[in-house]
Amino acid sequence: MADALLADEPVVRDGIAIAWTPPAVRYSLRTRVPSGLPRLLASARFADGHALALGPDEWLLILPDGAQPPTIAPLHALTDIGHRNVGLTVAGDRAAALIQCGCALDLSLATFPPGKVTRTLYDGVEIVLWRTGEAEFRIETWRSFAAYLHAALALAADDL
Amino acid sequence: MSAFRLPGRGRIDVARPVAFRFDGKAMTGAAGDTLASALLANGVHLVGRSFKYHRPRGLLGAGVEEPNALMGVDRGPGRHTANVRATTIELHDDLTVETQNRWPSLGFDLGAATNLLSPLFPAGFYNKTFMWPRSAWETLYEPAIRRMAGLGKAPHAIDPDRYTARHDFVDLLIVGAGRAGIEAALAASASGERVMLIDEQPELGGKLLANPARWDWLAGALTRLDDAGVVCLSRTTAIGLYHDGFVGAVERLTDHLPPATATGPRERLHRIRAARIVLATGAIERPLVFADNDRPGVMLASAARTYLHRYGVAVGKRVALMVTHDSGYQVAFDLAEAGIGIAAIVDSRPDLDPSLKARASDLGLELIPHAVVIGTHGAKAVTGITLAPLGSRQVRKIACDALLMAGGWTPTVHLWSHGKGKLGWDEALGAFVPEGEMDRVTCTGACAGAIDPGHGVHAEALWSPRDPASFKAFVDLQNDVTARDIRLAVREGFRSIEHIKRYTTNGMATDQGKTSNLNGLQVAAGALGNTAPQVGLTTFRPPYTPTTFGALAGSAKDALFQPTRKTVIDSWAHAQGAVFENVAQWRRARYFPRASEDMDAAVARECRAVRTGVGMFDASTLGKIEVVGPDAAEFLNRMYTNPWKALAPGRCRYGLLLGEDGFIRDDGVAARLADDRFHVTTTTGGAARVLGMMEDYLQTEWPDLDVWLTSTTEQYAVIALQGPRARDVIAPHVEGVDLSPEALPHMAYAEGRICGVPMRLFRVSFTGELGFEVNVPAGHGLAVWEALWAEGQRHGITAYGTETMHVLRAEKGYIIVGQDSDGTLTPDDAGIGWAVGKKKLDFVGRRSLARPDMLLPDRKQLVGLLTDDPHYVLEEGAQIVDVPNAPVPVPMIGHVTSSYHSPTLGRSIALAVVAGGRARIGETLFVPMADKTHRVTVSEPLFYDREGARLDG
Repeated sequence: MADALLADEPVVRDGIAIAWTPPAVRYSLRTRVPSGLPRLLASARFADGHALALGPDEWLLILPDGAQPPTIAPLHALTDIGHRNVGLTVAGDRAAALIQCGCALDLSLATFPPGKVTRTLYDGVEIVLWRTGEAEFRIETWRSFAAYLHAALALAADDL
Repeated sequence: MSAFRLPGRGRIDVARPVAFRFDGKAMTGAAGDTLASALLANGVHLVGRSFKYHRPRGLLGAGVEEPNALMGVDRGPGRHTANVRATTIELHDDLTVETQNRWPSLGFDLGAATNLLSPLFPAGFYNKTFMWPRSAWETLYEPAIRRMAGLGKAPHAIDPDRYTARHDFVDLLIVGAGRAGIEAALAASASGERVMLIDEQPELGGKLLANPARWDWLAGALTRLDDAGVVCLSRTTAIGLYHDGFVGAVERLTDHLPPATATGPRERLHRIRAARIVLATGAIERPLVFADNDRPGVMLASAARTYLHRYGVAVGKRVALMVTHDSGYQVAFDLAEAGIGIAAIVDSRPDLDPSLKARASDLGLELIPHAVVIGTHGAKAVTGITLAPLGSRQVRKIACDALLMAGGWTPTVHLWSHGKGKLGWDEALGAFVPEGEMDRVTCTGACAGAIDPGHGVHAEALWSPRDPASFKAFVDLQNDVTARDIRLAVREGFRSIEHIKRYTTNGMATDQGKTSNLNGLQVAAGALGNTAPQVGLTTFRPPYTPTTFGALAGSAKDALFQPTRKTVIDSWAHAQGAVFENVAQWRRARYFPRASEDMDAAVARECRAVRTGVGMFDASTLGKIEVVGPDAAEFLNRMYTNPWKALAPGRCRYGLLLGEDGFIRDDGVAARLADDRFHVTTTTGGAARVLGMMEDYLQTEWPDLDVWLTSTTEQYAVIALQGPRARDVIAPHVEGVDLSPEALPHMAYAEGRICGVPMRLFRVSFTGELGFEVNVPAGHGLAVWEALWAEGQRHGITAYGTETMHVLRAEKGYIIVGQDSDGTLTPDDAGIGWAVGKKKLDFVGRRSLARPDMLLPDRKQLVGLLTDDPHYVLEEGAQIVDVPNAPVPVPMIGHVTSSYHSPTLGRSIALAVVAGGRARIGETLFVPMADKTHRVTVSEPLFYDREGARLDG
């Protein structure tokens, strides 16, 4: 994606690094047959990438750039949202504290362990929040909200 | 060192002098002082003028209970804060404060004339006097009253400070770091739970800070808490307690620093969710109500103790005490031991605790039992008091330079009360204390009524031999409410304490009755001949202390006020000099002026380009929903008025969405991509609402349907090419699609590639011209736009904005939902009854369309209007009348919904809704405007290319 949006340098503060993720293939997968898919609010490896369970019949698939549409069992809906979403990584010892500036979720390891994912809000912007490690999160949001989200996170990082 | 500073006492650092300015005068305090303690150390007692009567006022307290000493703090341009309590202002270099509500100066205040006129200002004065004329309230009375009686001035400049916020999650939140709060934290600290201890003061310790004997314990306890990982926040005020363990707290980060050295955000709002909450908010000492109890130098006994032990300041050199409670004695003893002269201890009680008597005797203090202070003397500071034995007129005068009051203790139950906690009357304390249980919340220490400073009596105003109408005995010092005002309110018929509060203003405003509520209640109860618990207490409301708007707004200002959504083509439009407008959260190009063009000239040029050549428009903001699944057609058939099942893949259809009420909610074109896949478009502003409505029906009404919805609004950039030469622009770049009118007619859909990237191509038009809407993955949108722009140069391509789009569609009579419709138009009203599938058995809103009211001939219907003067553009929203000279009120039969100058027709056009409008076509109606009444002719809502031949180009 040759986007001016994603040209910003990573934001690095004490215990925090915010960066755009590289381009990816993304699908919204909807099905009533969750075989081979993670349970609600969990993530799992899927077709060279990951499947993130956002709802009882809804998964966000994040696959490597250039990946072909995955093969899924019958009766499902697969919709291309690769360009709709933009990804950010927030990493570092204070990553959870930073995200809690604008997100009303308890991100302690006990309640939000690595691998957990949910759709939530940051400062009123809808995001998908996925803990990819003890001190690393991936945030997905819609393209036109990304600049606002990035600016809000950067400001909160300054003031943390 | 000043005469009032006591060497070797207090937690201040006298070796570090701090320079500050008070009303322009340079003064010096010490590190660790508050403004209040520094002023006292400088011998300053006069710190303000009262709200209504402009009476001289001094410090009453030493903490947030202070009602008098409200200051304006100036921290530079845009950083003026009004009404800050001097007792909470931490002294720092370059601190600049001004007193308020006085003119021309604090010492000589002309407003004090209101004190002489005070018999004219009884309770409810404003309600009684300034009743009419009604219009004078806004223009005359209120501004004048606000100038005369008021607090500080609201700032006008934009606040340049930053504010931040955070969500905190803890197992245990303790509010108040006095003895009880610290003990609760210590008890929980070994549990491994997440414990947070917050306190509004700069130092943790509460009243322990005024008790040197406990300082070692305090230091040790704080170390243990720190070692145990307890989060301890000072300068953090819990402003409100809400349901489910939610507490809002504001942490002040920079106000205690010299402005030049303050960096980072000014305050942090903590939104704390706690599994358990312990309120250890302590208690506030109660003043006594007697004549002229507001003279500077009259203060709470506990405050004098705090000034002595915490700040090393003597509140006077010869101090008298008026006590109705044992707790005052300890203050007298402490002051005496510090070498401060005690003029007398006056106690209203006849029988005193022998041990207190003995101690007073040992210290050589004069103790006057069974007597009360009945007046104070002095101009701007107390110089003496008059006292009388209870029931006697044998008055006696005593000289003093301070009078301390010990009237007992009031538990600080504000937060408990915010959480709807019940309160019960504690006769021994003469106060309300928390009663019953609250989910997650408990109280401890003085807040819970566990106060043991001895005994006392809790009467209303002190007895006086004088006529109560002849003096002012203040109950609420901040709002200038006297005992007489409260008794007057009762005489005038007020019974409810809530009504008495509002009529007299007792306990209102920033003070929230911290020192006045219980005394006011006692006075009211006395006047009502009732007991305090029967009269009840007014409700405490958040915030506990005044809170900045900045803390509540947080980062939501300037660029972060709310997201400004931009399309991928926005940067190109910006570079081209586009003028933007906001549509919902989107920023859209409104028109593209060239050189010195104004909007009308630019729009006229853009319109002509589309009608005669080709125009290019960024339609990316259109809402898009991908509807996928074997039941996709069935679902759309149920949602929309139109029939969908027979629509063939590769074809588009205009869809009309109603609410259950039968009124138009949204519209848009949808294409059938495959048997089980539709690409549905919505209005820009309706995208989220339509998806929500669809999900609602799908999940609650038809969970059996195998169909799923995904927002793809931002997956695709949409480039609209409109005009007779639109095909020529895209043709060289399109692969895999036959663009001929036969293969791709109006309302057809095809997939292929453009400029080498995947494309969804709609042959649709919102202008009435040959049109294509090119959808490409958003990341490629700008590149495709630029390629088509370059290609279009040889065809005279013109970029156009939303204003031109509006004019072009109005010429064709295409409605915009939300502009031409207002939530009360049916499809037939809007002239698009053809979009309703007549053979369909059901769809959302169908049943409502059959209601008799929906079929009346005089419903408002969409029509066109042509003004007699072809150059006059009607104002949108203007009312339409049938008979212009009818008597007022003139019946209004409709209003203008869209109105433009049409460059294509060379005259103005308008769309309107008019009662029975279609039957009036050809009639003359009238649009009264401020300048004149305009004659208009009703027409069909279609002004150009009536046959629609241009669509088929």
